[in-house]
Amino acid sequence: MSDPNQAGDNEVCVVDDDPSVLKSIHYLLASDGFKVRTFNKAEDFLTHASAHHVPVVVTDIWMDQVTGLEVLARLCALSPKTRVIVITAREDLAARATAMAIGPVAFFMKPFDDEKFIGAVRDALSRSEK
Amino acid sequence: MNDHTLAEQNHKQSKEQLSLLLTITMEVAAANDFSSALEVVLRRVCEKTGWVLGQAWVPSRDGTVLNCGSVWFCGNGELRDFRAVSEATHFKPGLGLPGRVWESKQPAWIEDVSRDPNFPRTAAARAIGLKTAVGIPILSGDKVIAVIEFFMRESRSKSEQLVKVIAAIAAQLNLVIERKRAEEELCRTNEILQSILSNMGDAVIVADKNGKFLFFNPVAERFFGTPGTQTSPNEWSHRFGLYLPDKVTPFPHDQLPLTRSIRGEEVDNVEIFVRSKKATKGLWVRVNGRPLKGPKGELLGGVIVCRDITEIKEEEFFRAGQSDVLEMIAADAPLPDVLTSLVLLMEGQAEGLRCSILLLNRDGKHVRHGAAPNLPQTYVKAVDGAPIGPRNGSCGTAMYTRRPVVVTDVMTDPLWADYRELAKICGLRACWSTPILSAQGDVLGSFAMYREQNRGPLPEETRLTQIATHIAGIAIERQRQQEILREREARISLAAESADLAFWILYPEQNTAWMSEKGRLIYGFDSNLPLTCDLILSRVHPDERAAVKAAYDRSCALSGTFESEHRLRLPYGKTRWVIMRGRCLKDEEGNLLETIGVTLDVSAQKQADLQLQHQREEMAHRNRVSLMGEMTASFAHELNQPLTAIANNASAARRFLQHGNIDPALLPQLLQDMVADSQRAGEVIRGIRSLVRKETSAHTLLNLNEVITDTVRLVSTDVLSRESVVTTELEPQLPQVSATLVQIQQVLLNLIMNALDAMEGLPPAERRIIIRTRSDKGDVAEISVRDFGTGLPKDQPDKVFDHFFSTKQKGMGMGLAIVRSIIEAHGGTIVGENAADRGARMIVRLPAVRGQTQTVAAA
Repeated sequence: MSDPNQAGDNEVCVVDDDPSVLKSIHYLLASDGFKVRTFNKAEDFLTHASAHHVPVVVTDIWMDQVTGLEVLARLCALSPKTRVIVITAREDLAARATAMAIGPVAFFMKPFDDEKFIGAVRDALSRSEK
Repeated sequence: MNDHTLAEQNHKQSKEQLSLLLTITMEVAAANDFSSALEVVLRRVCEKTGWVLGQAWVPSRDGTVLNCGSVWFCGNGELRDFRAVSEATHFKPGLGLPGRVWESKQPAWIEDVSRDPNFPRTAAARAIGLKTAVGIPILSGDKVIAVIEFFMRESRSKSEQLVKVIAAIAAQLNLVIERKRAEEELCRTNEILQSILSNMGDAVIVADKNGKFLFFNPVAERFFGTPGTQTSPNEWSHRFGLYLPDKVTPFPHDQLPLTRSIRGEEVDNVEIFVRSKKATKGLWVRVNGRPLKGPKGELLGGVIVCRDITEIKEEEFFRAGQSDVLEMIAADAPLPDVLTSLVLLMEGQAEGLRCSILLLNRDGKHVRHGAAPNLPQTYVKAVDGAPIGPRNGSCGTAMYTRRPVVVTDVMTDPLWADYRELAKICGLRACWSTPILSAQGDVLGSFAMYREQNRGPLPEETRLTQIATHIAGIAIERQRQQEILREREARISLAAESADLAFWILYPEQNTAWMSEKGRLIYGFDSNLPLTCDLILSRVHPDERAAVKAAYDRSCALSGTFESEHRLRLPYGKTRWVIMRGRCLKDEEGNLLETIGVTLDVSAQKQADLQLQHQREEMAHRNRVSLMGEMTASFAHELNQPLTAIANNASAARRFLQHGNIDPALLPQLLQDMVADSQRAGEVIRGIRSLVRKETSAHTLLNLNEVITDTVRLVSTDVLSRESVVTTELEPQLPQVSATLVQIQQVLLNLIMNALDAMEGLPPAERRIIIRTRSDKGDVAEISVRDFGTGLPKDQPDKVFDHFFSTKQKGMGMGLAIVRSIIEAHGGTIVGENAADRGARMIVRLPAVRGQTQTVAAA
C-alpha cells in the first residue's frame, strides 16, 4: 500500500468484511491506477479516518458487528468531507433511503458494472476537497 | 523143648495163625452186619487161639463209659456168672482192662487178672479161675469204636505174636463197619433222592434209549397223567397234549426235549404248552433234558425236568396286554376302544369275572357309560346318566366318596336299593367299585368288578383293580387333555382367523412346516400345498430375505425368541407387510426341535403409516421451502458476495489487459480467485438445494456445535437485516448425535426464525438470541434457543407444538409441530418454557451416541 501521509489525497479506502469481495474491488480499482487502502473491519477504517484525510471511501452497508449505516453516521461526524460510495448485496429500499439521507455520492448493488463504479470513484475523488 | 523143636513149633504156630487170619477175613467179609462179624471174630479167636471167653465193649452214646456189648462167646457154661458181672459193669476211660485199652488205644495183656490192681472184676474172675486176659481196640480212623477182650484159665506170659494176630483180625471188623456205613449211606441217599423226586415241584421223567418210560415222579403224573400203556415217542405229543407256544400246533415229536435227550442232546429251557384231560385249562412248562449215559459213555436213555411256568407266562401275557392298552392310549385310539380292551384284559385274568368302567360326566354329578362289553345292555343303559351320591350303587357311591366301595351282596346292601331288581335280572351278586383318579386327584370315573357269588375281592382281584384304575386313569386323563387342547386350538384358531394372524410351526431339521389356513392366505399358499421352511422363507421379499434368515438363526441360537418386521412378496408381485414372532423349542440337550409362532399382517397399518410419513415429509418440505422464503436476504447476500468478487476480478483483468500494464504474476492470481469464488457460489446453491430437496438423507454422526455455527452463518444476513444478534455458548465436550443434517438445520432455522419473529416489537438493541449447548452426563446432547421476545402462552406453553397453532399473523402454525415430529423421530424431546425475566427458551434433547465426543472450539 501507499504511504498514507503522502498518498492520502488520492487514496481510495475500501471497507468490506468479505475478504474475496474486498480483494476483488482492490484489483478492480488498481487496474485503473487508483491507490487503494482496504479494511476488513469497519472499526479499523474509522480509526484510520480519525487520523488521516480520507477523500473517498467505498463501503458495504451490511457487515457483522457494525452495520454500514452506523459506519456512515460516525464517518459523517468524523470526516464530513469524505465522499462515500455504498455497495450492498441486498436490495433494501429503507436502508437505501437512510443511506442517501446521510449523504453518499453513489449507491451500487452487488454485483455492479465496473465502468460505472470506476467512473463514480473517479468522479468522487476529483470532487473531493483537497 | 530143644531149639529145633521150638523153631518148628513156632513155624507151625505162625502157619496156623496165618490160616486163621485168612479164614476169619473171609468169614468177616461174608458177614451181613457188624454183630455177626463180631460174633465170628470172638468165636474164631477163642477156638483157634485157646481163649475160653471173648466179649466186646462199646462206648456209650455220650462217650463217657464203656458198656458190655450184646455179642459174646464162651467155651463152656460156667462162665455165665462172669458174663453177668461184666454186663453189670461200666468202665470209665483207664479203668479196668477195657477202660485201659479204650484210653490208650493200644492192646493190653494181663498175665493174672486175680493179681492185677486195676481189674474191678477180680473176684468174679477168681471164682471161675480166669487168669490171663488180653484187650484189643477196634479203631475206625482215630476213634475207638469197640474194645474186645479174651480170657483163658492158664497163666500165660504176653505173646506179641498172638496180640498181632488178634489185632489184625479185629482190624477186619473195621472193614465191615466201613462197608456197612457206605451201604447205609447209599440207602439213605436213595431215600433222600426218592423223597426229592416225590416232593419236588418239578416233573421228572426218565426213559430208556427205546423211549420206554422208566420213571414218572408224582408231579409228572399230575402234569401229564400216568405213563400208561407204553407208547412210542411219535405218539407223545398227541397222547400228553403237548403244543408249541402258539397253543394249537402239536409239538413235533422229534423236537420234544425227551426225544432229543435220548438222542444224546442236552436240552435247555424249551417251553411247551400242555392241554390234556389232566390240565384242561392248559399249563405252561419249561423243560430241561439230559441224556443218561453208562460208565463207558454209552447212551442209556434220557431224563427231563419240567417246571410249571404257567403263572409266569400268564403274568407275561397280562403285562403284554397292559402294554397293548397303553400303546392304544399313546396312539390316541378312541377312548371307548381303549377302555373296552382294558376291561377284556382284566376279565381274562380270572374265571367268571365281569368288569365295567364308568366315566364321571363333565358336570361332576352324573355317570356316563365307559366300557362294559360283557354286561347286559339293559344294565348298561340303565346306569348311563345316573346321578352319583352317597347311596348310589357301588360306582356312583365310589365316585361320590372318592373311596373304593365293596358290596359283597347287592341283594342286601342298602347302597343298591335302587338297582336291586336290575342286578337280579342281570345275574349280578357282588360289585366292587374303585374310583379312577387323575394325577391331581380329581375323580375321572370308576372301575367295577362283578361276581355272580356274594363275596368280597380276593387279593389277586384287588391287584387287578389297582392296575385297571391306574391305566384307565391315564387313558381318560389323556383324552380329557386332548379335548381341552382341541377346544383351545379351536378358540385360538377362531381368534386367529378374525385377527389376520397366521399360526405356523417350523421343523428345521426335517425342513417341513405347518401353517393355519389364515396363514396360507397371508403367505399366498394353496390349502393343500405341502409346506417347507424354505418355501416360507422364499416368500420373504428378496431385499430382506438374507437379513430375516440371519436374524432367525441368531435368535434360535441365542435367546430362543424371534421377532422381525419385513415385507412378503407374493405371486403376481403383491407385497405385504408382516410382523413375524416366534419361539424356538429345544430338547434337554439344547437341540432345536421346532419353532412355533405367529405372523401378523400389518399391510393396512403400514400403508397408513407410510401415507402419514409421506404427509409428514411433505409438510416438512413445505416448511423448509417456506423457511427459504424468509431467508432470501441471507441467500441473496451469500450468493451475491462470490458473484461480485468474480465480476470484479474479471473486470480488473480485462482492464489490466486493455491498459497493457498487467503484472505477469497478477493474471493467474485473478483467475485463481474467480475459480475459488465460483466454487463458493456453487456451495451456497448446493446448500439451498439440500434444504429444499424433498428427500432428506440418512442419519450420520453429527457434531451439533458445527451444525449450529454453520446455520447461524447461513441466516446471519437476515439476522442483521432484522437488526438482531445471535450469540452462541457451545459446550466443547458435547457428545455427537446420530441424525439427519438437513432436519437438524431445519429445526434450528425454525427456532431462530420464530425467535426473530417474537422480538420484532422490541427495540433493536434488545433483539438477542442465545443458542447454548450442553451435555447431560454424556447421555444427551442438549440445545437451547433463548429469545427475549413475547414468550409462550402462559397457561399452556406446550400448545405451540400443536399443528396450526400460531401466535403470528402470517404464520401457518406448522413450524414447531414439524420441529417436534423431527426431534421425536430422532428419539429426542423438545420442550418450551418461559424464561424467568422474559422471552422463551426452547430446549431440544437428543440421545448422544456413546463414546462419541468431539472437541470443537466454540464459535
